[in-house]
Amino acid sequence: MDRKDNQTPQGESAQILVEFLEVAITSIVFLKGVYPNGAFERRRYMNLVVHKARHPELNEYIRSAVNGLLPFIQKGLVERVAVIFFKDDKVPIERFVFKLNVNQSHGSKVEQADLEFSLRSFLIKLPVSEPMTKVLPRNCRWEITAYFRSLPQTSTIKDAEMWIPTDTRQWQQLPVITPIKSMNSEPLGLQLYLEHPSLSEPKP
Amino acid sequence: MSFDSTRSGNSVSNSKRSFNSISSNPYNKTSSSGAKSTNTDKKKKKTNQKTLGMAWGANSRSSSRSAFRNSPFSDFGSYMVLKNKKLHEQFDAEASSSSQSGSASGKSIFHGVSIFVDGYTVPSSQELRGYMLKYGGRFENYFSRHRVTHIICSNLPDSKIKNLRSFSGGLPVVKPTWVQDSVAANKLLSWIPYQLDQLASEIHNQPKLSAFFPLKNIRDSDDVALNLGNQEISETENSSLEYGTLMVANCPEQCDSTEQVDQCGPEFDGLLHVGPTEMILEEPACSVGSHCEPKGAELCDISMLDGMDTGFEPKSISSFQASASVCSCIPDDHNSKESSSSRISLASNQPHSTLVDPDFVENYFKSSRLHFIGTWRNRYRKRFPTSSDGFREKSSCLNASAVVHKTAIIHVDMDCFFVAVVIKNRPELQDKPVAVCHSDSPRGTAEISSANYPARDYGIKAGMFVKDAKARCPHLVIVHYDFGAYEKVADQFYDILHKHCNKVQAVSCDEAFLDVTDSSVEDPQLLASVIRKEILDTTGCTASAGIAGNMLMARLATKTAKPDGQCYIPPEKVDDYLRALPVRALPGIGHVLAEKLKKGQIETCGKLRIISKESLQKDFGVKTGDMLWNYSRGIDNRHVGVIKESKSIGAEVNWGVRFKNTNDAQRFLTNLCKEVSLRLQGCGVLGRSFTLKIKKRRSDAGEPIKYMGHGDCENLSHSITIPMATDELDVIQRTTTQLFGYFQIDVKDIRGMGLQVSKLENTNNGKLVHQRNSILSWLVSTSTKDTDQEKVTSLTKNNDIVGKLNVEGDRGQLCSNHAGPSVRSDASLSAGVSGIRQGVILPPLHDLDVGVIVSLPPDVVAEINDMYGGELTSFISKYKSDMNMSTTSVDSFEGVTSEEKECRPSHLVQSNKFSFDIKCGDEGTPIRPFSASVSENIAVMPSSLSQVDRSVLQQLPQELREDILEFLPAHRRLESVPDALLNPTENQTGCTQFVSANELWIGNPPLWVDKFKVSCCGMLNIFSEMYYRSGHCHLSSILQRLFSEKRVPLDVGTDEWDDAVSCLCELVKQYLELKIQTDIEEVYVCIRLLRRLTKRSKFFGLVCDNILPHLQASVGENYGGTLNVSSVKD
Repeated sequence: MDRKDNQTPQGESAQILVEFLEVAITSIVFLKGVYPNGAFERRRYMNLVVHKARHPELNEYIRSAVNGLLPFIQKGLVERVAVIFFKDDKVPIERFVFKLNVNQSHGSKVEQADLEFSLRSFLIKLPVSEPMTKVLPRNCRWEITAYFRSLPQTSTIKDAEMWIPTDTRQWQQLPVITPIKSMNSEPLGLQLYLEHPSLSEPKP
Repeated sequence: MSFDSTRSGNSVSNSKRSFNSISSNPYNKTSSSGAKSTNTDKKKKKTNQKTLGMAWGANSRSSSRSAFRNSPFSDFGSYMVLKNKKLHEQFDAEASSSSQSGSASGKSIFHGVSIFVDGYTVPSSQELRGYMLKYGGRFENYFSRHRVTHIICSNLPDSKIKNLRSFSGGLPVVKPTWVQDSVAANKLLSWIPYQLDQLASEIHNQPKLSAFFPLKNIRDSDDVALNLGNQEISETENSSLEYGTLMVANCPEQCDSTEQVDQCGPEFDGLLHVGPTEMILEEPACSVGSHCEPKGAELCDISMLDGMDTGFEPKSISSFQASASVCSCIPDDHNSKESSSSRISLASNQPHSTLVDPDFVENYFKSSRLHFIGTWRNRYRKRFPTSSDGFREKSSCLNASAVVHKTAIIHVDMDCFFVAVVIKNRPELQDKPVAVCHSDSPRGTAEISSANYPARDYGIKAGMFVKDAKARCPHLVIVHYDFGAYEKVADQFYDILHKHCNKVQAVSCDEAFLDVTDSSVEDPQLLASVIRKEILDTTGCTASAGIAGNMLMARLATKTAKPDGQCYIPPEKVDDYLRALPVRALPGIGHVLAEKLKKGQIETCGKLRIISKESLQKDFGVKTGDMLWNYSRGIDNRHVGVIKESKSIGAEVNWGVRFKNTNDAQRFLTNLCKEVSLRLQGCGVLGRSFTLKIKKRRSDAGEPIKYMGHGDCENLSHSITIPMATDELDVIQRTTTQLFGYFQIDVKDIRGMGLQVSKLENTNNGKLVHQRNSILSWLVSTSTKDTDQEKVTSLTKNNDIVGKLNVEGDRGQLCSNHAGPSVRSDASLSAGVSGIRQGVILPPLHDLDVGVIVSLPPDVVAEINDMYGGELTSFISKYKSDMNMSTTSVDSFEGVTSEEKECRPSHLVQSNKFSFDIKCGDEGTPIRPFSASVSENIAVMPSSLSQVDRSVLQQLPQELREDILEFLPAHRRLESVPDALLNPTENQTGCTQFVSANELWIGNPPLWVDKFKVSCCGMLNIFSEMYYRSGHCHLSSILQRLFSEKRVPLDVGTDEWDDAVSCLCELVKQYLELKIQTDIEEVYVCIRLLRRLTKRSKFFGLVCDNILPHLQASVGENYGGTLNVSSVKD
């Protein structure tokens, strides 16, 4: 991905955001302990210690998933990106939702440093949010799901082919939301919150 | 220089590679002289080597096409053909011209010889080319099997030697001197003597062990007596182990006994009964499948070296082929008599031996004295865990006072421990020269590990070969290790020491330092003699003692005291004592250092003292120089009892290692891993970094003098760090195999292997390890490297109690953790971090803020109460009555404050989870203690502002913020403190730009502030006041301020009251609308703060009730869910 191709402020921030999402999603997966800790190695990102998957496939899944979103994020089509943990019955246990808000009308140049500064706070906040999260049962699975504001023309964009409709089931009731972090750094707004099934959610 | 002409000529053919033109000019170079020529010479060599590098590439595969995409040649192959042709033409042209101009030579001695020069040679390839030109040979720039007849090189890389055939194509590989000598001799000499050494040695190598084995097998099946005419030979061939259990010598009984008699002298006569009846088979592994015909001669006692190691287990894996035949031997008679614990292995000449030692590695270590000493410490720790632990603390106190206090140190050392223990029950040996050695083979290549004083009189020293020792003292008695007895004596020894002194530092199994400064016995000399006497009485062995003011002098004194004596060096005599002392006698000065000093004419400490510390440090390095300077003055600042944690654990075998094939090596590695894994488990640690060390026989090294020793070796090592510390055999094995793969080494050349594990972590720190993965790690690690794991662990225990309390010791965290909303999560976080602090000290009762305690959940209160031994409840009730009397105590911060506050920097502060933002939120917070603690803990401050959560910083009161900024490293502060941080209000104007309908929040300050200010309701007034104080337009920060404010209006249900509630509701509602879209976090924080405030005033309860439905609706609309407003984990 050449940064020069994305000269618009939206493109620029989208590029940063995608990079950030890759790190953040890996951090979440690490945090939730779906894989043994040894499957990750320590890396430095934005001058923070973060974790990166050692397994090439895991790494590639995360990387390709978020990079596949790049064109849509630039266009402001992506509303939410969720990291969903679920059991075999496909009923989600916990969802980490990144709510995106790209201001399409913003014209001035992106202060990359500011944006990164704001994004850092997510990565700082994330590990300390662990007590708010649920303990996952064994043999959990997870996936990255993106929610679009409108369906993109699949035929026109090649990247979209990588995305398949999810078969993960939805909750019947409105979930309980626990915000983790919000930030707004023009033109990008990003919020991270947790979703848990509400208490009245019928047990499968 | 006539470069130009040729270059231009060349550049026609190939402009890309101008270095070829250079290389085609040997004559210019050799004929030219002076500085310039040497200069160019260097250059040429360089370029030349590059050329050759290319040559290989070109030869091996005609790839790298891309580089030639633009050339006129269709592909690389055709290019090379053309190029070679051209080079030949040039060579021919030059050859003809040189032979014409060339002097007398003209003789084509090298006719028919075509050389290819590989790599760097002396003389250079250009000179060789010159010779070829001159004497009718040919010189190939590129290797070709068809054109080249000789390869010239000075040395070859390992890989090429291994694949010699593919490299040379079967052509002779010859040293360049062959060319020169041929020229000198004026005729073509045979190349054979000039063959490359590496290859020659490969061919005329020392006989390989693999060669022995088939041979030996044949012999074994023959009559044993046949092959044993010469024991020397049979021993070599059997390649048995000295250290290992298996000492084999297939020797007829008679011959053996006579030999033994010869060696041992008359005094052994009576004791010697060699025969099957006395065989003790304690080792199933050995006896299984072997007939155990008592033909063996060599005795070998194998003792257990560690308590846990008792008993051999038969293992089917053969770790070691070179270990020759199945082992068995005739028991050493005295061994069998005196110690039941000693293991005796048997040598047999079992016909169908499979070259198998079932567990060489295990046995190797079982019979290694060094290993005994090495693992002994571990044992000792287990035996005296409390003493060494409790002691450490004391020693830290001691550090402070040591200078003032006059210390008395006793160094106790057993006299020739390894001998003395063995012979203590054999009075007949008492005054005879005796040495301990693992083997008493007549070959005499075993090394003596310890000798008693009579033996030392003959000049026998440790490390000497038995045969040399016997040359000096023919009637020397060799005894064998008795590890069981050693262990017993060492335990007794330490029991005695610990009885007399509580500060004991074990140096080795037979040597220790005692700090008797605080001893009840006034005179250390008296104490020393008491201890010595007791040791003699209990163990039957003598010990010597040195007494002095520090460890160094005590140790030196012991040297003087030996044997069986004691020596006191009073401080005033230290100078005299040292003056004449040879430097070599100082501990820490070994051969190398002594040699260096000797070169400088320094042989005594007196002379050493003349040299300044600076020049010593310059010559020998800072540490060594420092040590020399101190030691020569008798200064030693070490303290008794400072036990260094081992940094690495490993096992290494450098004796008897011979492999036939990779499988052998793998098996050996497996066993090595097992050993290491056991040791890790034994020490209770996990390791992350694995280093495999291999001793590789040097190509020119012959068979080592020491039988089955490693000889002259290169030491190679590779290491790998795995992400998770482990002591699991599987993981270690996998890692080791991977490491072994890196070596690319011929297993036949391996003479020793060692596996070392470092980056150790304590097993019981599992929890801690996990914590390390969190944000904590960098928070702490960036600044505080001195995190002492032990302290942390000690603290984690306390954390169980402190549990939900926010233990907060480090000021540094404040800036990063105190994001208002995350109260709960942070609580757990800081609990871990503050582990750095010394330990949890309960704050004095009167420091507790009862306000907090009262509002704590009852179970927590109960816990705290327990911690205070029940005094808390009475304290609380007392407080309550006080409160009734004076409600006007406004000064210190209260309300939901923490149960106590930081008073002294070293004090560990605990604050509960509700209140940890109090400190930053209350103006009443005493700044001075804070700064004191900050300066103390300056190391934990983030090194840059970028690590600081801005929102937290903004929420801090002005003074604190400034304080924190002040404590940032100076350079950081300048570059990175944005003005915005200091003037948050300006920075936050952005948030008002969304305002449209929400008029209350328009403007700066927002409209409501003034509106509330003039309101007649006290609560609203406070709100606007809070706004100014927090200097912030975030509702959350205002609420937070309010939270720490003590003045909360009383609950009065008036009209104003209802008014105020609706006003505030409107305010909050508008704020929600403003923020719900973009900042649910802020909304969340606000609502949580409001909910918390309800506990203080019904006012907020009303507001909350009013707001909640609105809030949930709004969240549902925007986020499709309900906000989690209940407590996170109740």
